[in-house]
Amino acid sequence: MTITEKLAALPDMISPGISSCVGCNVELILRTCMKVLGSETVLAIPPGCMGGVGVVGHNTKSGAKCPVFFPLLDNVASMLAGIKLQYERENRPVHAVAFAGDGATVDAGLQCLSGAAERGDRIIYICYDNEGYMNTGYQRSGSTGKYAWTSTTPVSAANRGGKRQHKKDIAQIMAMHDIPYLATCSPAYIPDMVSKVEKAMVYSQEGLVFLHILNPCVTGWGIRPDLSIQAARLSVQSNYHPLYEVVRGKYHLSMEFPEAKPLQEYLGLMRKYAHLTPEEIAELQAVTTSKWQRLKQLAAMGELS
Amino acid sequence: MANYDVLNGNRAAAVAALLCRPDVIAAYPITPQTPVVEYLMQFAADGLLTSALCEVESELSAMSVLTGATLAGARSFTATSSQGLALMYEPYFRASTLRLPIVMAIVNREMISPQSVWGGQQDALTLRDAGWLQLYVEDNQEILDTIIQAFRLAEHPEVLLPVNICYDGFYLSHMAERVAIPSQEEVDTFLGVRQPSPVVLDTRHPIAVDPLTTGEYVMEYRHKQVQATRKALQVVQELNSSFAQSFGRDYGGCSESYRMEDAEYALVTIGSMTGAAREAVDLQRQLGQKVGLVKVRLLRPFPVQEVSQALAYLQGYAVIDRSVSFGRDSGILFQEVAAAMYTLGKYVPAQSYIGGLGGEDITVPMLQQVLAEIAAKPPEPTARWLQQEVD
Repeated sequence: MTITEKLAALPDMISPGISSCVGCNVELILRTCMKVLGSETVLAIPPGCMGGVGVVGHNTKSGAKCPVFFPLLDNVASMLAGIKLQYERENRPVHAVAFAGDGATVDAGLQCLSGAAERGDRIIYICYDNEGYMNTGYQRSGSTGKYAWTSTTPVSAANRGGKRQHKKDIAQIMAMHDIPYLATCSPAYIPDMVSKVEKAMVYSQEGLVFLHILNPCVTGWGIRPDLSIQAARLSVQSNYHPLYEVVRGKYHLSMEFPEAKPLQEYLGLMRKYAHLTPEEIAELQAVTTSKWQRLKQLAAMGELS
Repeated sequence: MANYDVLNGNRAAAVAALLCRPDVIAAYPITPQTPVVEYLMQFAADGLLTSALCEVESELSAMSVLTGATLAGARSFTATSSQGLALMYEPYFRASTLRLPIVMAIVNREMISPQSVWGGQQDALTLRDAGWLQLYVEDNQEILDTIIQAFRLAEHPEVLLPVNICYDGFYLSHMAERVAIPSQEEVDTFLGVRQPSPVVLDTRHPIAVDPLTTGEYVMEYRHKQVQATRKALQVVQELNSSFAQSFGRDYGGCSESYRMEDAEYALVTIGSMTGAAREAVDLQRQLGQKVGLVKVRLLRPFPVQEVSQALAYLQGYAVIDRSVSFGRDSGILFQEVAAAMYTLGKYVPAQSYIGGLGGEDITVPMLQQVLAEIAAKPPEPTARWLQQEVD
């Protein structure tokens, strides 16, 4: 069975007709993950793009076919932990799943997430990272990349501008909690993502599992809608967002490219980096290369004792 | 059959929680509530408590875990104080607007600044408009008894609201006194079989909790919450009677009147200061002054009719507050009582007194002085401050 046939056979857990931006792939990611996760799922959709486009619902209508709720921006993991505890008390298996943006994950909700990871609450936390508060008009987050334009890190002729700091590496932060399973995913590599969701369902019996999915934001980043998958693919092929897993402490690279694409190709697809000087591009390239080398070393280390 | 033991207030709270068999407990330690968490963990380690325990990393998470657990159908309990309550404000407010029957003890402590870990009711009283039901108690027996009643109040099908049991930090939390501990069977019988909550995130019956909601529905939700909150006045009274019948201890329900029959002047109190106030009333009576006191137990919903009727025929009364309403030059309880008295359509002279902040004592002589003062001097528009002489 091909991945297309497999996904086509699974019931859609999300309501049709979601009002996300043209060319946005978060809806694709959510629908795909939820098909794999299935109906025995309690879904948390915190404030963010997916809350905004109606996945929780509107007035008396639900946006999903499983129980879905709207946690606070800063308590996603904790609310899910409570739900899971009660289901476990009743001996009922359920997937307690967060589908949260980077703001709810790396900024306001990081404390709750870290606490749940440390305690080993058995939840599946999926972060769709579009590098900013995109639903409210493209404000900077802790996940926004260095030099990127956002509406709160504007670019001016006088002072250049863009964000002054690198993004938090949320996947590494979570890996260092020694959670049973962590993976990075991309909407450009759906079969890889599906297999990682399946593993997450298994490893979540041991503790918190975390999926980090980089999703280029067409409107906020300034990408042509028909190039959003291309941008996601280049983020992987340039090693800006390498695909890997950490399984019980052991790093595995999901794919490795004999020759990484220059980061400039990725940056060049989006308006948020249009103001960059060659020196700034070189700096970002150097950081990307260095982080990739570190990841390769971690993968070569094998099992951590 | 009840056992008798010598318990501090925190232990009385923990024992009460144990007897009510919550499904989920999530709590984060903070002075002076910390021993509650320690006792509960010890009960679990000893195999007495079988609740799922969540060792949260903050009070924000404590309330959030309980919000999730209660949305999944759990009976849940926690306790906090002061800064911890402030940190959980966001999920605290939401627990009431989601109509979740969570029970939480608040060990009242002063809010900083300046830095203080001692008593004061500013923490809980400041949150009086966040939709929780709030009961304030006088002694350790009342802590235990009121927590047991609180689960039935919270889970009452026509109430379905979270409940705070507020007791003074250190004065009750760390002071020990004789407490009757009911048996498990007695508590099980009193609590009865729990009605399942109508709103549960259940995969067998999928629902959406908190979709984007337009104003017409928000108006309806708020109106229904106001009605349910009003209903709690009656339920508190019924539970008080039913508890008195089963256990022989009667707290008067929403408020308690003490020696008010022929009183001309009265104190209005809240919390542990009531003990000293009873003493002050007795002593002034011995001196020939016709005085009494009204202890307010239920702050939310406020028993407007009951309190105003109790004070209606006085020549004057004083409200003693362990809190400050900044910008109103009075304590917080004073405003509640004064607003209730307005419904009578007649004026009874009233004076706000503020004392006991940051753990300061409210002494019997102070309260005797108050009773003498309100009989001798007309009231002033701003609060008078109860302060000990500093040598």
